[in-house]
Amino acid sequence: MSMIIAVMYREYRIRTTSMTWIFYDMFMPITYLLLFGIGLDKAFHGGIVTHGVAISYNAFFLSGVLSMACFGIAINTTYGFFVDRDNGIFYEFLTYPMTRGEFLIGKIMFNCLLSLVQSLLTIGLGSLLLGISLHWENIVFVLAGVILGTAGWFFFLTPFALRIRRNDMFNTFLNVVYFVLMFASSMFYPVEVLPGWLKGLSYANPLTWHTDTLRFATIGVGTFEVVAVEALAFALLLLISFWFAVRTLRHAILK
Amino acid sequence: MAEPAIQVTDLVKVYREKSSHPVRALDGLTLTVREGEIFGLLGRNGAGKTTLLRILTTLIEPTSGRVTILHRDAVKNPLEVRKNICVVLQENAVELYLSVRDNFFTFARFHSIPAGEVRSRTNRVIEQFGLGDYADQKVIDLSSGLKRRVQVAKVFMVDKPIIFLDEATTGMDPVNKRATIDAIREQARRGRTIFLTTHILQEAEELCDTIAIIDHGKRLACGSLQQIKSLARHALDITLTFDTLTDATLSELRALPSTKFEHTDNTVDMCVAGGEVAVLELVARLARQQRVLHVEMSSATLEDAFFELLRKSAHRPPGTTEDGGLSP
Repeated sequence: MSMIIAVMYREYRIRTTSMTWIFYDMFMPITYLLLFGIGLDKAFHGGIVTHGVAISYNAFFLSGVLSMACFGIAINTTYGFFVDRDNGIFYEFLTYPMTRGEFLIGKIMFNCLLSLVQSLLTIGLGSLLLGISLHWENIVFVLAGVILGTAGWFFFLTPFALRIRRNDMFNTFLNVVYFVLMFASSMFYPVEVLPGWLKGLSYANPLTWHTDTLRFATIGVGTFEVVAVEALAFALLLLISFWFAVRTLRHAILK
Repeated sequence: MAEPAIQVTDLVKVYREKSSHPVRALDGLTLTVREGEIFGLLGRNGAGKTTLLRILTTLIEPTSGRVTILHRDAVKNPLEVRKNICVVLQENAVELYLSVRDNFFTFARFHSIPAGEVRSRTNRVIEQFGLGDYADQKVIDLSSGLKRRVQVAKVFMVDKPIIFLDEATTGMDPVNKRATIDAIREQARRGRTIFLTTHILQEAEELCDTIAIIDHGKRLACGSLQQIKSLARHALDITLTFDTLTDATLSELRALPSTKFEHTDNTVDMCVAGGEVAVLELVARLARQQRVLHVEMSSATLEDAFFELLRKSAHRPPGTTEDGGLSP
Protein backbone atom coordinates (compact mmCIF):
# COMPACT_ATOMS: atom_id res chain seq x y z
CA MET A 1 0.00 0.00 0.00
CA SER A 2 2.86 2.38 0.81
CA MET A 3 4.03 2.18 -2.81
CA ILE A 4 0.57 3.06 -4.16
CA ILE A 5 0.53 6.04 -1.81
CA ALA A 6 4.03 7.00 -2.98
CA VAL A 7 2.89 7.00 -6.63
CA MET A 8 -0.22 8.99 -5.67
CA TYR A 9 1.95 11.48 -3.78
CA ARG A 10 4.16 11.89 -6.82
CA GLU A 11 1.14 12.44 -9.11
CA TYR A 12 -0.20 14.98 -6.63
CA ARG A 13 3.11 16.89 -6.50
CA ILE A 14 3.30 17.09 -10.25
CA ARG A 15 -0.36 17.96 -10.75
CA THR A 16 -0.20 20.79 -8.23
CA THR A 17 2.71 22.48 -9.99
CA SER A 18 0.15 24.04 -12.34
CA MET A 19 -3.09 25.63 -11.21
CA THR A 20 -4.22 25.65 -14.85
CA TRP A 21 -4.40 21.86 -14.81
CA ILE A 22 -6.32 21.84 -11.56
CA PHE A 23 -8.77 24.48 -12.77
CA TYR A 24 -9.27 22.65 -16.06
CA ASP A 25 -9.81 19.30 -14.36
CA MET A 26 -12.25 20.70 -11.82
CA PHE A 27 -14.42 22.90 -13.97
CA MET A 28 -14.25 21.52 -17.52
CA PRO A 29 -17.24 19.14 -17.15
CA ILE A 30 -19.61 21.67 -15.59
CA THR A 31 -18.56 24.28 -18.18
CA TYR A 32 -19.29 21.74 -20.91
CA LEU A 33 -22.69 21.00 -19.41
CA LEU A 34 -23.53 24.69 -19.09
CA LEU A 35 -22.49 25.65 -22.63
CA PHE A 36 -23.14 22.60 -24.79
CA GLY A 37 -25.95 21.15 -22.64
CA ILE A 38 -27.95 24.38 -22.49
CA GLY A 39 -27.54 24.86 -26.24
CA LEU A 40 -28.87 21.40 -27.03
CA ASP A 41 -31.57 21.71 -24.38
CA LYS A 42 -32.90 24.73 -26.27
CA ALA A 43 -32.52 22.96 -29.61
CA PHE A 44 -34.58 20.02 -28.31
CA HIS A 45 -37.20 22.50 -27.07
CA GLY A 46 -36.67 21.59 -23.47
CA GLY A 47 -36.50 17.83 -23.47
CA ILE A 48 -36.27 14.36 -24.96
CA VAL A 49 -37.98 11.04 -24.43
CA THR A 50 -35.94 7.98 -23.48
CA HIS A 51 -37.10 4.66 -22.04
CA GLY A 52 -40.62 6.09 -22.23
CA VAL A 53 -39.77 8.98 -19.90
CA ALA A 54 -39.70 12.67 -20.90
CA ILE A 55 -36.75 14.47 -19.33
CA SER A 56 -34.81 17.70 -19.91
CA TYR A 57 -31.78 17.39 -22.17
CA ASN A 58 -29.60 18.74 -19.36
CA ALA A 59 -30.70 15.88 -17.10
CA PHE A 60 -30.03 13.37 -19.89
CA PHE A 61 -26.67 14.89 -20.79
CA LEU A 62 -25.36 15.06 -17.19
CA SER A 63 -24.25 11.41 -17.18
CA GLY A 64 -22.75 11.86 -20.67
CA VAL A 65 -20.62 14.71 -19.32
CA LEU A 66 -19.57 12.64 -16.31
CA SER A 67 -18.48 9.67 -18.43
CA MET A 68 -16.74 12.02 -20.86
CA ALA A 69 -14.85 13.59 -17.92
CA CYS A 70 -13.76 10.14 -16.69
CA PHE A 71 -12.53 9.30 -20.17
CA GLY A 72 -10.74 12.68 -20.38
CA ILE A 73 -8.90 12.17 -17.08
CA ALA A 74 -7.91 8.66 -18.16
CA ILE A 75 -6.50 10.09 -21.40
CA ASN A 76 -4.53 12.75 -19.51
CA THR A 77 -3.12 10.11 -17.19
CA THR A 78 -1.97 7.90 -20.07
CA TYR A 79 -0.30 10.94 -21.62
CA GLY A 80 1.72 10.99 -18.40
CA PHE A 81 3.57 7.91 -19.72
CA PHE A 82 4.87 9.97 -22.62
CA VAL A 83 5.94 12.83 -20.34
CA ASP A 84 7.66 10.37 -18.00
CA ARG A 85 9.35 8.67 -20.91
CA ASP A 86 10.56 12.00 -22.30
CA ASN A 87 11.93 12.86 -18.85
CA GLY A 88 13.60 9.46 -18.68
CA ILE A 89 12.05 8.78 -15.30
CA PHE A 90 9.62 6.17 -16.60
CA TYR A 91 12.31 3.49 -16.72
CA GLU A 92 13.73 4.51 -13.36
CA PHE A 93 10.26 4.05 -11.84
CA LEU A 94 10.25 0.48 -13.02
CA THR A 95 13.34 -0.21 -10.92
CA TYR A 96 11.65 1.09 -7.75
CA PRO A 97 10.55 -1.47 -5.14
CA MET A 98 6.97 -1.87 -6.34
CA THR A 99 5.01 -4.17 -8.61
CA ARG A 100 3.85 -3.04 -12.05
CA GLY A 101 0.28 -3.27 -10.75
CA GLU A 102 1.03 -0.94 -7.82
CA PHE A 103 2.56 1.54 -10.24
CA LEU A 104 -0.56 1.58 -12.43
CA ILE A 105 -3.01 1.67 -9.55
CA GLY A 106 -1.10 4.49 -7.81
CA LYS A 107 -0.97 6.45 -11.03
CA ILE A 108 -4.74 6.32 -11.53
CA MET A 109 -5.79 6.55 -7.86
CA PHE A 110 -4.88 10.20 -7.50
CA ASN A 111 -6.64 10.93 -10.76
CA CYS A 112 -9.70 9.02 -9.52
CA LEU A 113 -9.77 11.45 -6.61
CA LEU A 114 -9.74 14.31 -9.12
CA SER A 115 -12.59 12.60 -10.97
CA LEU A 116 -14.59 12.38 -7.76
CA VAL A 117 -14.16 16.07 -6.96
CA GLN A 118 -15.01 17.21 -10.49
CA SER A 119 -18.04 14.91 -10.57
CA LEU A 120 -19.35 16.24 -7.28
CA LEU A 121 -18.87 19.80 -8.57
CA THR A 122 -20.65 18.95 -11.83
CA ILE A 123 -23.54 17.18 -10.13
CA GLY A 124 -23.87 19.86 -7.43
CA LEU A 125 -23.70 22.84 -9.77
CA GLY A 126 -25.79 21.07 -12.42
CA SER A 127 -28.51 20.50 -9.89
CA LEU A 128 -28.27 24.04 -8.54
CA LEU A 129 -27.93 26.00 -11.78
CA LEU A 130 -29.89 23.84 -14.21
CA GLY A 131 -32.45 22.41 -11.83
CA ILE A 132 -31.60 18.79 -12.68
CA SER A 133 -33.57 16.49 -10.45
CA LEU A 134 -31.18 13.92 -9.01
CA HIS A 135 -31.53 10.64 -7.13
CA TRP A 136 -29.28 11.74 -4.28
CA GLU A 137 -29.79 8.42 -2.52
CA ASN A 138 -27.68 6.86 -5.30
CA ILE A 139 -24.75 9.25 -4.96
CA VAL A 140 -22.45 6.48 -3.64
CA PHE A 141 -23.15 4.44 -6.78
CA VAL A 142 -22.51 7.48 -8.96
CA LEU A 143 -19.15 8.06 -7.31
CA ALA A 144 -18.27 4.36 -7.54
CA GLY A 145 -19.15 4.53 -11.24
CA VAL A 146 -16.91 7.55 -11.68
CA ILE A 147 -13.96 5.75 -10.04
CA LEU A 148 -14.50 2.57 -12.06
CA GLY A 149 -14.91 4.56 -15.27
CA THR A 150 -11.72 6.57 -14.79
CA ALA A 151 -9.67 3.52 -13.80
CA GLY A 152 -11.24 1.32 -16.47
CA TRP A 153 -10.47 3.68 -19.33
CA PHE A 154 -6.97 4.29 -18.01
CA PHE A 155 -6.20 0.56 -17.91
CA PHE A 156 -7.82 0.15 -21.33
CA LEU A 157 -5.65 2.87 -22.89
CA THR A 158 -2.39 1.97 -21.09
CA PRO A 159 -1.31 -0.93 -23.34
CA PHE A 160 -1.82 1.29 -26.39
CA ALA A 161 0.21 4.14 -24.84
CA LEU A 162 3.01 1.74 -23.93
CA ARG A 163 3.11 -0.01 -27.28
CA ILE A 164 2.56 2.94 -29.60
CA ARG A 165 5.36 4.92 -27.89
CA ARG A 166 5.12 7.89 -30.30
CA ASN A 167 3.20 10.78 -28.81
CA ASP A 168 1.87 12.01 -32.18
CA MET A 169 0.74 8.53 -33.20
CA PHE A 170 -0.98 8.00 -29.88
CA ASN A 171 -2.71 11.34 -30.31
CA THR A 172 -4.05 10.27 -33.71
CA PHE A 173 -5.12 6.91 -32.30
CA LEU A 174 -7.00 8.64 -29.47
CA ASN A 175 -8.73 11.04 -31.82
CA VAL A 176 -10.04 8.15 -33.89
CA VAL A 177 -11.02 6.03 -30.87
CA TYR A 178 -12.64 8.90 -29.04
CA PHE A 179 -14.51 10.03 -32.14
CA VAL A 180 -16.01 6.59 -32.73
CA LEU A 181 -16.68 5.76 -29.07
CA MET A 182 -18.22 9.13 -28.28
CA PHE A 183 -20.67 9.35 -31.19
CA ALA A 184 -21.58 5.67 -31.28
CA SER A 185 -22.76 5.76 -27.69
CA SER A 186 -25.56 6.99 -25.46
CA MET A 187 -23.50 10.01 -24.41
CA PHE A 188 -25.31 12.62 -26.53
CA TYR A 189 -28.56 10.91 -27.55
CA PRO A 190 -30.64 7.87 -26.58
CA VAL A 191 -29.43 4.74 -28.35
CA GLU A 192 -33.00 3.57 -29.10
CA VAL A 193 -33.55 6.39 -31.65
CA LEU A 194 -30.50 5.39 -33.72
CA PRO A 195 -30.68 3.34 -36.95
CA GLY A 196 -30.12 -0.41 -36.58
CA TRP A 197 -26.45 -0.62 -37.54
CA LEU A 198 -25.49 2.28 -35.29
CA LYS A 199 -27.67 0.95 -32.49
CA GLY A 200 -25.78 -2.36 -32.52
CA LEU A 201 -22.45 -0.57 -32.46
CA SER A 202 -23.60 1.68 -29.63
CA TYR A 203 -24.85 -1.20 -27.49
CA ALA A 204 -21.48 -2.90 -27.89
CA ASN A 205 -19.64 0.26 -26.85
CA PRO A 206 -18.22 0.32 -23.29
CA LEU A 207 -18.77 4.08 -23.22
CA THR A 208 -22.51 3.36 -23.54
CA TRP A 209 -22.31 0.84 -20.68
CA HIS A 210 -20.59 3.39 -18.47
CA THR A 211 -22.87 6.29 -19.44
CA ASP A 212 -26.04 4.19 -18.98
CA THR A 213 -24.88 3.11 -15.51
CA LEU A 214 -24.21 6.69 -14.48
CA ARG A 215 -27.54 7.81 -15.99
CA PHE A 216 -29.46 5.19 -14.05
CA ALA A 217 -27.68 6.18 -10.84
CA THR A 218 -28.08 9.94 -11.30
CA ILE A 219 -31.61 10.35 -12.68
CA GLY A 220 -33.06 6.81 -12.54
CA VAL A 221 -33.55 6.42 -16.29
CA GLY A 222 -33.08 2.92 -17.72
CA THR A 223 -33.91 -0.67 -16.84
CA PHE A 224 -32.19 -2.06 -13.76
CA GLU A 225 -31.54 -5.49 -15.33
CA VAL A 226 -29.94 -3.99 -18.46
CA VAL A 227 -27.89 -1.48 -16.50
CA ALA A 228 -26.70 -4.21 -14.13
CA VAL A 229 -25.43 -6.25 -17.08
CA GLU A 230 -23.77 -3.15 -18.57
CA ALA A 231 -22.11 -2.32 -15.23
CA LEU A 232 -20.84 -5.89 -14.87
CA ALA A 233 -19.56 -5.89 -18.45
CA PHE A 234 -17.68 -2.65 -17.77
CA ALA A 235 -16.21 -4.07 -14.54
CA LEU A 236 -15.08 -7.13 -16.50
CA LEU A 237 -13.51 -4.88 -19.13
CA LEU A 238 -11.67 -3.06 -16.31
CA LEU A 239 -10.26 -6.30 -14.90
CA ILE A 240 -9.16 -7.63 -18.29
CA SER A 241 -7.65 -4.25 -19.19
CA PHE A 242 -5.76 -4.13 -15.88
CA TRP A 243 -4.33 -7.60 -16.46
CA PHE A 244 -3.35 -6.67 -19.98
CA ALA A 245 -1.85 -3.32 -18.89
CA VAL A 246 0.32 -4.99 -16.24
CA ARG A 247 1.42 -7.62 -18.74
CA THR A 248 2.31 -4.97 -21.31
CA LEU A 249 4.25 -2.98 -18.73
CA ARG A 250 6.14 -6.12 -17.74
CA HIS A 251 7.02 -7.34 -21.22
CA ALA A 252 6.88 -4.57 -23.74
CA ILE A 253 9.40 -2.00 -22.61
CA LEU A 254 12.84 -1.18 -23.90
CA LYS A 255 12.78 -3.85 -26.60
CA MET B 1 36.12 -14.20 0.65
CA ALA B 2 32.99 -12.04 0.46
CA GLU B 3 29.68 -13.61 -0.61
CA PRO B 4 28.50 -13.04 -4.18
CA ALA B 5 26.15 -10.07 -4.37
CA ILE B 6 25.40 -10.55 -8.06
CA GLN B 7 25.70 -13.83 -9.91
CA VAL B 8 25.23 -13.96 -13.68
CA THR B 9 25.30 -17.42 -15.26
CA ASP B 10 25.26 -18.24 -18.98
CA LEU B 11 23.13 -15.20 -19.70
CA VAL B 12 21.70 -14.87 -23.18
CA LYS B 13 19.50 -12.06 -24.46
CA VAL B 14 18.23 -12.11 -28.01
CA TYR B 15 16.20 -9.16 -29.25
CA ARG B 16 13.68 -9.62 -32.06
CA GLU B 17 13.99 -13.36 -31.52
CA LYS B 18 11.26 -14.29 -33.97
CA SER B 19 12.33 -11.90 -36.71
CA SER B 20 14.58 -12.76 -39.63
CA HIS B 21 17.34 -10.61 -38.08
CA PRO B 22 17.56 -11.46 -34.38
CA VAL B 23 20.09 -9.48 -32.34
CA ARG B 24 22.12 -11.47 -29.81
CA ALA B 25 22.97 -8.76 -27.28
CA LEU B 26 24.29 -11.15 -24.61
CA ASP B 27 25.85 -14.44 -25.53
CA GLY B 28 26.45 -16.80 -22.62
CA LEU B 29 27.79 -14.21 -20.19
CA THR B 30 28.94 -15.34 -16.75
CA LEU B 31 30.05 -12.93 -14.00
CA THR B 32 30.25 -12.74 -10.24
CA VAL B 33 30.21 -9.51 -8.25
CA ARG B 34 31.17 -9.86 -4.60
CA GLU B 35 29.55 -7.99 -1.74
CA GLY B 36 31.13 -4.64 -0.95
CA GLU B 37 33.18 -4.35 -4.11
CA ILE B 38 33.14 -1.73 -6.84
CA PHE B 39 32.65 -3.63 -10.05
CA GLY B 40 33.24 -1.94 -13.39
CA LEU B 41 31.71 -3.21 -16.62
CA LEU B 42 33.53 -1.97 -19.70
CA GLY B 43 32.87 -2.40 -23.37
CA ARG B 44 32.36 -0.39 -26.48
CA ASN B 45 28.94 0.80 -27.69
CA GLY B 46 26.72 -2.17 -28.45
CA ALA B 47 28.84 -4.57 -26.40
CA GLY B 48 25.84 -5.53 -24.25
CA LYS B 49 26.51 -3.41 -21.14
CA THR B 50 23.14 -1.68 -21.05
CA THR B 51 21.27 -4.91 -21.81
CA LEU B 52 23.02 -6.60 -18.89
CA LEU B 53 22.21 -3.65 -16.63
CA ARG B 54 18.54 -3.75 -17.68
CA ILE B 55 18.33 -7.44 -16.85
CA LEU B 56 20.07 -6.96 -13.51
CA THR B 57 17.69 -4.14 -12.62
CA THR B 58 14.62 -6.20 -13.67
CA LEU B 59 13.68 -3.92 -16.55
CA ILE B 60 13.82 -6.77 -19.05
CA GLU B 61 14.03 -10.54 -18.84
CA PRO B 62 16.81 -12.65 -20.34
CA THR B 63 16.18 -15.15 -23.12
CA SER B 64 18.02 -17.80 -21.09
CA GLY B 65 20.51 -18.07 -18.26
CA ARG B 66 20.20 -17.03 -14.65
CA VAL B 67 20.70 -13.85 -12.65
CA THR B 68 20.63 -13.68 -8.87
CA ILE B 69 20.93 -10.55 -6.77
CA LEU B 70 21.73 -11.32 -3.14
CA HIS B 71 20.60 -14.90 -3.89
CA ARG B 72 17.24 -13.74 -5.26
CA ASP B 73 16.35 -14.73 -8.80
CA ALA B 74 15.84 -11.56 -10.87
CA VAL B 75 13.26 -13.22 -13.14
CA LYS B 76 11.28 -15.16 -10.53
CA ASN B 77 11.45 -12.54 -7.74
CA PRO B 78 11.87 -9.16 -9.43
CA LEU B 79 10.19 -7.29 -6.59
CA GLU B 80 12.57 -8.77 -4.00
CA VAL B 81 15.47 -7.72 -6.22
CA ARG B 82 14.10 -4.19 -6.61
CA LYS B 83 13.86 -3.88 -2.83
CA ASN B 84 17.63 -4.31 -2.65
CA ILE B 85 18.83 -2.09 -5.48
CA CYS B 86 19.08 1.53 -6.44
CA VAL B 87 19.69 2.55 -10.03
CA VAL B 88 21.09 5.48 -12.00
CA LEU B 89 20.20 4.81 -15.62
CA GLN B 90 22.02 6.19 -18.62
CA GLU B 91 18.97 8.23 -19.60
CA ASN B 92 18.35 11.42 -17.64
CA ALA B 93 15.70 10.58 -15.05
CA VAL B 94 14.41 13.50 -13.04
CA GLU B 95 11.05 15.07 -12.30
CA LEU B 96 11.42 18.12 -14.51
CA TYR B 97 8.45 20.01 -13.06
CA LEU B 98 9.44 19.57 -9.45
CA SER B 99 12.08 21.48 -7.53
CA VAL B 100 15.39 19.81 -6.72
CA ARG B 101 14.29 19.38 -3.10
CA ASP B 102 10.93 17.89 -4.13
CA ASN B 103 12.74 15.44 -6.39
CA PHE B 104 14.51 14.12 -3.31
CA PHE B 105 11.33 14.10 -1.20
CA THR B 106 9.46 12.14 -3.87
CA PHE B 107 12.32 9.68 -4.34
CA ALA B 108 12.48 9.14 -0.56
CA ARG B 109 8.81 8.07 -0.52
CA PHE B 110 9.50 5.27 -2.96
CA HIS B 111 12.41 3.97 -0.97
CA SER B 112 10.66 3.96 2.40
CA ILE B 113 12.99 6.41 4.11
CA PRO B 114 11.52 7.14 7.56
CA ALA B 115 9.62 10.45 7.48
CA GLY B 116 11.80 11.92 10.23
CA GLU B 117 14.96 11.36 8.19
CA VAL B 118 13.85 12.58 4.76
CA ARG B 119 14.73 16.22 5.39
CA SER B 120 18.13 15.54 6.95
CA ARG B 121 19.12 13.08 4.22
CA THR B 122 17.94 15.52 1.56
CA ASN B 123 20.02 18.30 3.08
CA ARG B 124 23.03 15.99 3.28
CA VAL B 125 23.02 15.06 -0.42
CA ILE B 126 22.19 18.62 -1.45
CA GLU B 127 25.34 19.73 0.36
CA GLN B 128 27.43 16.76 -0.78
CA PHE B 129 26.63 17.39 -4.44
CA GLY B 130 26.79 21.20 -4.28
CA LEU B 131 23.11 21.67 -5.06
CA GLY B 132 22.40 24.19 -2.29
CA ASP B 133 21.99 27.16 -4.64
CA TYR B 134 19.47 25.27 -6.77
CA ALA B 135 17.50 23.42 -4.10
CA ASP B 136 14.28 25.34 -4.63
CA GLN B 137 14.53 25.73 -8.39
CA LYS B 138 12.51 23.58 -10.74
CA VAL B 139 14.71 20.98 -12.40
CA ILE B 140 13.46 21.94 -15.85
CA ASP B 141 15.32 25.25 -15.45
CA LEU B 142 18.69 23.61 -14.66
CA SER B 143 21.54 22.75 -17.05
CA SER B 144 21.90 19.14 -18.19
CA GLY B 145 24.94 18.67 -15.94
CA LEU B 146 22.96 19.80 -12.90
CA LYS B 147 20.04 17.57 -13.85
CA ARG B 148 22.41 14.63 -13.97
CA ARG B 149 23.78 15.64 -10.58
CA VAL B 150 20.27 15.57 -9.09
CA GLN B 151 19.66 12.14 -10.60
CA VAL B 152 22.91 10.70 -9.27
CA ALA B 153 22.58 12.34 -5.85
CA LYS B 154 19.24 10.62 -5.27
CA VAL B 155 20.76 7.16 -4.94
CA PHE B 156 23.05 8.36 -2.18
CA MET B 157 20.00 9.18 -0.03
CA VAL B 158 19.04 5.55 0.48
CA ASP B 159 20.72 2.54 2.04
CA LYS B 160 20.13 -0.19 -0.51
CA PRO B 161 22.88 -2.84 -0.51
CA ILE B 162 23.49 -2.63 -4.27
CA ILE B 163 23.83 0.47 -6.45
CA PHE B 164 23.84 0.33 -10.25
CA LEU B 165 25.39 3.29 -12.03
CA ASP B 166 25.18 3.48 -15.81
CA GLU B 167 27.57 6.15 -17.10
CA ALA B 168 26.86 8.09 -13.91
CA THR B 169 29.36 10.90 -14.37
CA THR B 170 28.44 11.68 -17.99
CA GLY B 171 27.91 15.38 -18.48
CA MET B 172 29.35 16.41 -15.11
CA ASP B 173 32.07 18.97 -14.66
CA PRO B 174 35.36 17.78 -13.07
CA VAL B 175 34.43 19.08 -9.60
CA ASN B 176 31.16 17.16 -9.50
CA LYS B 177 32.71 14.16 -11.12
CA ARG B 178 35.15 14.13 -8.22
CA ALA B 179 32.30 14.51 -5.70
CA THR B 180 30.50 11.57 -7.31
CA ILE B 181 33.61 9.39 -7.28
CA ASP B 182 34.20 10.25 -3.63
CA ALA B 183 30.59 9.41 -2.81
CA ILE B 184 30.89 6.07 -4.60
CA ARG B 185 34.04 5.23 -2.62
CA GLU B 186 32.36 6.23 0.62
CA GLN B 187 29.41 3.93 -0.13
CA ALA B 188 31.75 1.04 -0.92
CA ARG B 189 33.58 1.63 2.38
CA ARG B 190 30.22 1.25 4.11
CA GLY B 191 29.85 -2.18 2.56
CA ARG B 192 27.55 -1.41 -0.34
CA THR B 193 28.16 -3.14 -3.65
CA ILE B 194 28.61 -0.79 -6.60
CA PHE B 195 28.09 -2.00 -10.15
CA LEU B 196 29.06 0.62 -12.69
CA THR B 197 29.41 0.91 -16.41
CA THR B 198 31.54 3.64 -17.89
CA HIS B 199 33.27 4.69 -21.05
CA ILE B 200 35.82 6.62 -19.03
CA LEU B 201 38.53 4.02 -18.51
CA GLN B 202 40.54 6.28 -16.22
CA GLU B 203 37.53 6.43 -13.92
CA ALA B 204 37.24 2.65 -13.87
CA GLU B 205 40.99 2.35 -13.23
CA GLU B 206 40.71 4.73 -10.30
CA LEU B 207 37.55 3.27 -8.75
CA CYS B 208 37.04 -0.39 -9.46
CA ASP B 209 38.14 -3.38 -7.44
CA THR B 210 37.10 -5.73 -10.22
CA ILE B 211 36.71 -5.01 -13.90
CA ALA B 212 34.98 -6.99 -16.62
CA ILE B 213 35.41 -6.24 -20.29
CA ILE B 214 32.72 -7.50 -22.63
CA ASP B 215 32.27 -7.40 -26.38
CA HIS B 216 29.48 -8.75 -28.60
CA GLY B 217 27.75 -9.95 -25.45
CA LYS B 218 30.67 -12.15 -24.38
CA ARG B 219 33.15 -11.71 -21.58
CA LEU B 220 36.63 -10.92 -22.82
CA ALA B 221 38.22 -10.58 -19.39
CA CYS B 222 37.30 -10.25 -15.75
CA GLY B 223 39.54 -9.67 -12.76
CA SER B 224 41.31 -7.08 -10.66
CA LEU B 225 42.86 -4.05 -12.33
CA GLN B 226 46.31 -5.64 -12.10
CA GLN B 227 45.03 -8.88 -13.57
CA ILE B 228 43.43 -7.04 -16.47
CA LYS B 229 46.57 -4.99 -17.05
CA SER B 230 48.64 -8.14 -16.93
CA LEU B 231 46.77 -9.32 -20.00
CA ALA B 232 48.63 -6.54 -21.80
CA ARG B 233 51.70 -6.96 -19.63
CA HIS B 234 54.13 -6.47 -22.50
CA ALA B 235 52.60 -3.19 -23.49
CA LEU B 236 54.68 -0.04 -23.12
CA ASP B 237 53.52 3.44 -24.05
CA ILE B 238 56.48 5.21 -25.62
CA THR B 239 56.81 8.79 -26.85
CA LEU B 240 60.01 9.63 -28.70
CA THR B 241 60.92 13.10 -29.98
CA PHE B 242 63.77 13.26 -32.53
CA ASP B 243 65.80 16.17 -33.84
CA THR B 244 65.15 14.80 -37.28
CA LEU B 245 62.91 11.85 -37.97
CA THR B 246 64.26 9.97 -40.96
CA ASP B 247 62.40 7.41 -43.03
CA ALA B 248 64.96 4.80 -41.95
CA THR B 249 64.25 5.42 -38.24
CA LEU B 250 60.54 5.44 -38.91
CA SER B 251 60.81 2.07 -40.66
CA GLU B 252 62.84 0.64 -37.79
CA LEU B 253 60.21 1.77 -35.31
CA ARG B 254 57.35 0.52 -37.45
CA ALA B 255 58.99 -2.90 -37.49
CA LEU B 256 58.47 -3.22 -33.74
CA PRO B 257 55.35 -5.16 -32.61
CA SER B 258 53.19 -2.13 -31.81
CA THR B 259 49.43 -1.94 -31.17
CA LYS B 260 49.37 1.80 -31.76
CA PHE B 261 51.65 3.88 -33.95
CA GLU B 262 51.22 7.59 -34.59
CA HIS B 263 53.71 10.23 -35.64
CA THR B 264 53.46 13.98 -36.03
CA ASP B 265 56.44 16.07 -37.15
CA ASN B 266 59.39 14.61 -35.26
CA THR B 267 57.45 12.85 -32.52
CA VAL B 268 56.35 9.23 -32.46
CA ASP B 269 53.69 7.83 -30.10
CA MET B 270 53.57 4.10 -29.94
CA CYS B 271 52.29 1.29 -27.79
CA VAL B 272 54.57 -1.73 -28.01
CA ALA B 273 53.30 -5.17 -27.13
CA GLY B 274 56.22 -7.57 -26.55
CA GLY B 275 59.94 -7.23 -27.20
CA GLU B 276 60.70 -4.56 -24.59
CA VAL B 277 64.40 -5.41 -24.74
CA ALA B 278 64.52 -4.75 -28.47
CA VAL B 279 62.71 -1.45 -27.92
CA LEU B 280 65.08 -0.34 -25.20
CA GLU B 281 68.08 -1.33 -27.30
CA LEU B 282 66.73 0.63 -30.25
CA VAL B 283 66.05 3.71 -28.12
CA ALA B 284 69.52 3.48 -26.57
CA ARG B 285 71.14 3.18 -30.00
CA LEU B 286 69.19 6.15 -31.35
CA ALA B 287 70.09 8.16 -28.27
CA ARG B 288 73.78 7.35 -28.75
CA GLN B 289 73.45 8.70 -32.27
CA GLN B 290 72.10 11.91 -30.68
CA ARG B 291 68.91 11.65 -32.63
CA VAL B 292 66.52 11.46 -29.66
CA LEU B 293 65.62 14.72 -27.88
CA HIS B 294 63.03 13.34 -25.49
CA VAL B 295 61.91 9.91 -24.28
CA GLU B 296 58.80 9.07 -22.25
CA MET B 297 57.88 5.51 -21.30
CA SER B 298 55.05 4.20 -19.18
CA SER B 299 53.65 0.76 -18.49
CA ALA B 300 50.32 -0.43 -19.78
CA THR B 301 47.16 1.36 -18.70
CA LEU B 302 43.70 -0.08 -18.52
CA GLU B 303 43.07 1.62 -21.84
CA ASP B 304 45.97 -0.28 -23.41
CA ALA B 305 44.64 -3.56 -22.06
CA PHE B 306 41.13 -2.67 -23.21
CA PHE B 307 42.19 -2.01 -26.79
CA GLU B 308 44.45 -5.01 -26.90
CA LEU B 309 41.64 -7.27 -25.70
CA LEU B 310 39.24 -5.86 -28.27
CA ARG B 311 41.84 -6.32 -30.99
CA LYS B 312 42.51 -9.89 -29.95
CA SER B 313 38.80 -10.64 -29.66
CA ALA B 314 38.36 -9.72 -33.31
CA HIS B 315 40.83 -12.49 -34.24
CA ARG B 316 39.90 -15.09 -31.63
CA PRO B 317 38.05 -18.32 -32.43
CA PRO B 318 34.45 -18.24 -31.19
CA GLY B 319 33.81 -19.48 -27.64
CA THR B 320 37.19 -18.61 -26.12
CA THR B 321 38.03 -15.87 -23.59
CA GLU B 322 41.21 -14.03 -22.77
CA ASP B 323 41.20 -14.34 -19.03
CA GLY B 324 41.23 -18.12 -18.74
CA GLY B 325 41.08 -18.94 -15.06
CA LEU B 326 41.57 -15.53 -13.52
CA SER B 327 37.96 -14.40 -13.58
CA PRO B 328 35.69 -15.23 -10.66
